[in-house]
Amino acid sequence: MDFIASFYNFRVVADYLPVFAQGLWATIWISAVCLVLSLGFGVLLAGMRMSSNGLLWRPAAAYTQFIRATPLLIQIYLVYYGLPLLFGGVAFLDETMSGVVALTLHTTPYMAEIIRAGIESVNRGQHEAATALGMTRFQKMLLVILPQAFANVIPALLGQTAVLIKDTSLLSIIAVFELMSAGVMLMSERIMPNESFLTVAVCYLLIYAVMLVVSNVAQNRLGGAYRMR
Amino acid sequence: MLEETIRVILSVLPFLLDGLWQTFKISLIAIVIGSILGAVLGIARSFRIPGLTGLIGLYLHLFRGSPFLVQLYVFYFVLPELGIPLLQFDSFTAALVALSLYTASYVTEIVNGAILAVPRGQEEAARALGMTKLQAMRYIVLPQALKLTVPPMSGVYVVIIKGTSILSVIGITELTRQGEVAILRTPGSILLIYAVVAALYFLYCYPVLRFTDWAEKRIGGVKVKLEN
Repeated sequence: MDFIASFYNFRVVADYLPVFAQGLWATIWISAVCLVLSLGFGVLLAGMRMSSNGLLWRPAAAYTQFIRATPLLIQIYLVYYGLPLLFGGVAFLDETMSGVVALTLHTTPYMAEIIRAGIESVNRGQHEAATALGMTRFQKMLLVILPQAFANVIPALLGQTAVLIKDTSLLSIIAVFELMSAGVMLMSERIMPNESFLTVAVCYLLIYAVMLVVSNVAQNRLGGAYRMR
Repeated sequence: MLEETIRVILSVLPFLLDGLWQTFKISLIAIVIGSILGAVLGIARSFRIPGLTGLIGLYLHLFRGSPFLVQLYVFYFVLPELGIPLLQFDSFTAALVALSLYTASYVTEIVNGAILAVPRGQEEAARALGMTKLQAMRYIVLPQALKLTVPPMSGVYVVIIKGTSILSVIGITELTRQGEVAILRTPGSILLIYAVVAALYFLYCYPVLRFTDWAEKRIGGVKVKLEN
């Protein structure tokens, strides 16, 4: 019993439970906001990449390659220090908002690649049938192609969402308060690494477990072409 | 303005290049150790030995389910607390062990996936010819699986290179850390220095990324979820 108490003191963790809950909540809502934004921008970016106009697809491709070939941490720093400069040295966004911007910029190209694969997986006959029904290009995309495209790649999108949730941990480095920061706070106040970091790890694993269950349900219901694992 | 920019770049570049060299070395060590360990675990997993399969699955879930930053903190702060002399890591060892195990978790899935992608008839034919299970794996299945692992493996290489930037938080002097130190020296040009750091990462990652895309088109390969 003494060994357990000296290895992992539940009382201290219980004291910090509100802090961890607050961090967990921040991780969840930051992920959710980034997910929605990156899906929206991802559709736009996928559209740009699939365009035959060089003025559209070249910048989209360059942006995608830049994001894929540089570390997220550096992208976070660039946004965190770069955004205020764009607005004349005024830091009008706090850390959390900078973090949301950086993570959205980072996740969008990955989402766009998945969405593009989804759009390309929709049968040509669907395009032709929609055209034959007299739909405009916009109607065709919104009502026929995109719903099927999303259904086909939901497992891959869920996988990327799991990655996004894990990536929020890097925001702790620019002092955004989320799950990881809660652990770092306990560490710096009490110097108890086990209680700090094992608790954080367990919280992330719980989120991961929920994501696995959701992904399994989605796969069974939709039977998409791509799988999370 | 331009002259000033060039002057700052030239004054920090030697340090950043040294950081890039460290990043190169660390990523290479991690990918070599991680690949060997991952190959062993991936092959072991495909034999479906009761107990062992579950253990490897647990390892994969633990390492794929938590952020690398958390894993790094656990290896750096928590394991030395256990009081086992072997686990009293210094920061460099902790970084290498964490990154190698993280790499191995990807490689395990890739190798296992590639072995499963080889048609079962191949193994059955080899067994019918009187080969043992190990012989069939060594001479029939693995040579065919090896090719399939090339595209996802180079994808993992990019993930690991980018992952080394996180090591800066425990004070490993790789590229990102050198950038932070350079900023302490010339605090006026934060953005410029991070831009140069990004460019150096790009220089290292982009060729590998292009190779990945090319190999994917050429070989196809196993679909394994990759992390950025």
